[in-house]
Amino acid sequence: MSASSTKFRVNIITNRCKECGICIGVCPTKVLVKGDKHNEHGFRYPLPVNIERCIGCRLCEYNCPDFAIFVEVVKK
Amino acid sequence: MVVSTLESSHPLDKYLRTARLPHIWCPGCGLGIALGSIMRAIDKRIKEGTLKKENLVFVTGIGCSARTSFYVNFDAAHTLHGRAIAFATGAKLAKPELEVIVIGGDGDIAGIGGNHLLHAAKRNMDLIVLMITNFVYAMTGGQVAPTTPLGLYTTTTPHGNPEPPLNVVKVVSSLNANYVARASVTHPALVEQYVYKALGMRGFRFIEILSTCPEIFGRHIGMRDPFTLYSTLRSKVIVKQSPSIEESDLDWGKGFVIGEYLVRDNPGYLDRIGRGLK
Amino acid sequence: MRKSFISGNIAIAEGAITAGMRFFAGYPITPASDIMEYLAERLPEIGGVVTQFEDEIASINAVVGASWAGVKSMTATSGPGFSLMLEALGLAVITETPLVVVDVMRAGPSTGVPTKTSQSDVMQVRYGAHGDYVIPVFAPWSAQEAYDLTIKAFNVAESLRTPVILLSDAVIAHLWESVLLAEPGEVEVINRKKPSSPPDEYLPYKPDNDLVPPMATFGEGYNVIVESLIHDERGFYRQDREAYRNLVKRIVNKVLSRVDSLFEVEAYYGDDYKYLLVSFGSTARSALAAARILRKSGIKASLLRLKTLSPLKLETLRKYCDEAEKIFVVENNMGKLVHDVERAAENDKVISLPLLDLEIPEPKDIVEGVRKWL
Ligand SMILES: Cc1ncc(C[n+]2csc(CCOP(=O)(O)OP(=O)(O)O)c2C)c(N)n1
Ligand code: SF4
Ligand code: SF4
Ligand code: SF4
Repeated sequence: MSASSTKFRVNIITNRCKECGICIGVCPTKVLVKGDKHNEHGFRYPLPVNIERCIGCRLCEYNCPDFAIFVEVVKK
Repeated sequence: MVVSTLESSHPLDKYLRTARLPHIWCPGCGLGIALGSIMRAIDKRIKEGTLKKENLVFVTGIGCSARTSFYVNFDAAHTLHGRAIAFATGAKLAKPELEVIVIGGDGDIAGIGGNHLLHAAKRNMDLIVLMITNFVYAMTGGQVAPTTPLGLYTTTTPHGNPEPPLNVVKVVSSLNANYVARASVTHPALVEQYVYKALGMRGFRFIEILSTCPEIFGRHIGMRDPFTLYSTLRSKVIVKQSPSIEESDLDWGKGFVIGEYLVRDNPGYLDRIGRGLK
Repeated sequence: MRKSFISGNIAIAEGAITAGMRFFAGYPITPASDIMEYLAERLPEIGGVVTQFEDEIASINAVVGASWAGVKSMTATSGPGFSLMLEALGLAVITETPLVVVDVMRAGPSTGVPTKTSQSDVMQVRYGAHGDYVIPVFAPWSAQEAYDLTIKAFNVAESLRTPVILLSDAVIAHLWESVLLAEPGEVEVINRKKPSSPPDEYLPYKPDNDLVPPMATFGEGYNVIVESLIHDERGFYRQDREAYRNLVKRIVNKVLSRVDSLFEVEAYYGDDYKYLLVSFGSTARSALAAARILRKSGIKASLLRLKTLSPLKLETLRKYCDEAEKIFVVENNMGKLVHDVERAAENDKVISLPLLDLEIPEPKDIVEGVRKWL
């Protein structure tokens, strides 16, 4: 799944997520919150609920151990 | 939040064997963070034309850390516990245009493989060795490792580890390596920066990467939650520009100094035997 | 061909060079060291590398790595070093890595008598590593044969993608003889098969009909996987019985199915005999002299000399044994090959002559040993 603000898109490859919570913990602006949906392996992936707060720092992407989340700049 | 379906793929997918994902590592294991950072350094080198994708070879021994060779979409060898450096040395000597990267746990690299580490560093062998320190023998279920803190409970030191940890950065620095650094998965940009730098050098390049093992080490110290362990390690990391070896001990009390301990450009082993590329 | 007066150890080094070996890793040990010393001089002159490693474990692992970098590679050692190499020998087996390991036998167990000969490594070179496997083992009895069998060892290693053992001993090592050395093109040199499929279709462990997978190596763009775990054709770890059986059976069968070309024997006085001596390596030289002495005194003895100790073709052995009234297995150890001969012949005909000599055995000791049973 993915969610965009006017500037950034946060993408989550839901089936790779293992619900470790690191992305949620490292995000400086609290964009991500714990989700309630389970992926096919039974893990609850995070949701970029506050996407409009994203500053594109990529800390979530760089700290995700599972290559499950990445951030793109929205092209105008 | 406007949700849409995923349209693009992860920027590192081109370097990963995506058919083998999700990987076997436990939720929140630092190994994936380390691997991602290493891949970004490689990506940068490949994009700027200073590294050819087909020349890159990953060599690993056995352990959780060694499983990195499963996931890299490059030439990769998953060999024997402790012997990755020896295997890698043979490959590099036989075909000098290869860029050979060894990845392994601290048990793999500095425990059972310690003698190979010493001699590769002594030779200034043209290899990159990335040692993942997770303070425990993870794959085999939590026994004492060369870097386990003094006094800690492990499954084979139920009365507390009677041995102080091995400072591998110090050991390798005392030899003829060209590059010695320590990084931490809690600072992925620095892992990337050091690996990127090492990729542009010759001779023996050693980077210790402190990592989190929530599953086993976390259990030993009562920190199973991945982010709690991650933030605890992060809070103990002290980043320095040019740290001195004197402050390199692995000390859970005083903290872990990370940075580039040694940078030099002595002739590598291949130069000395007349097979250098430069 | 050119004639050269060299030792068995130098013959091995020269054979390896003729076969195209360009990477040697080793650790000094008597009586094998001069193979490395000779190559250290010679190999760099022709574009090769010789490195003395920190131990035998590093040496053989480096040899496996070098072979995966596309270069024919070898190491040489003696019993104690061979013991240290066993884990990586298994690695070479399961990763189907072509390489040659020379074991120049000395007396053991343990440090034993470093400078003296023995044939006591017969079991360890064939069965020493853990897991199920069969690898070819060749045992020369002269400097010329040390040269020839080293070339054969490389050709077999390359065509079957397997480690191959050249089993020499302290006598052959330092036996100086005239040897005919081949010029390039004068002997067959086999190189491993390369893949014909493009990288995205290549499966690193998918065999052709000959049970041997084509081998892409490092730096060729094939993203090869060298895997020490049980794996499928892609090189992916598998822990199921099907994948396990597929791999182990294929690795064993690719060698066993070549037994006809791998298994070589030589018979002496083989036309008409009552007593058969079976021997190999340097001991076979004495056994041949013993057969000659026995024949002179009217006892119809002959010699069957094994050049290959693995895989064995029991039918061939049986054919020779069936003709004999008694079979004497002459070995410089406590009796090892005798167990194989017992499998090939009727048990009560087989007599073990374990010599346990530190030198090349005296023919008269063999003659006496035989006479006791007549
Ligand atoms: C010769 C040999 N001895 C023991 C083992 C069992 N073994 C596998 S991994 C390992 C230790 C793993 O610890 P480390 O190298 O620190 O890596 P980690 O799993 O912590 O990443 C051991 C002892 C083995 N595979 N081979
Ligand atoms: S890019 Fe930075 S701000 Fe945006 S979601 Fe990721 S961690 Fe949060
Ligand atoms: S860091 Fe990755 S694996 Fe962990 S919760 Fe976030 S997306 Fe999932
Ligand atoms: S046991 Fe520890 S090191 Fe191994 S995968 Fe799990 S968390 Fe990572």
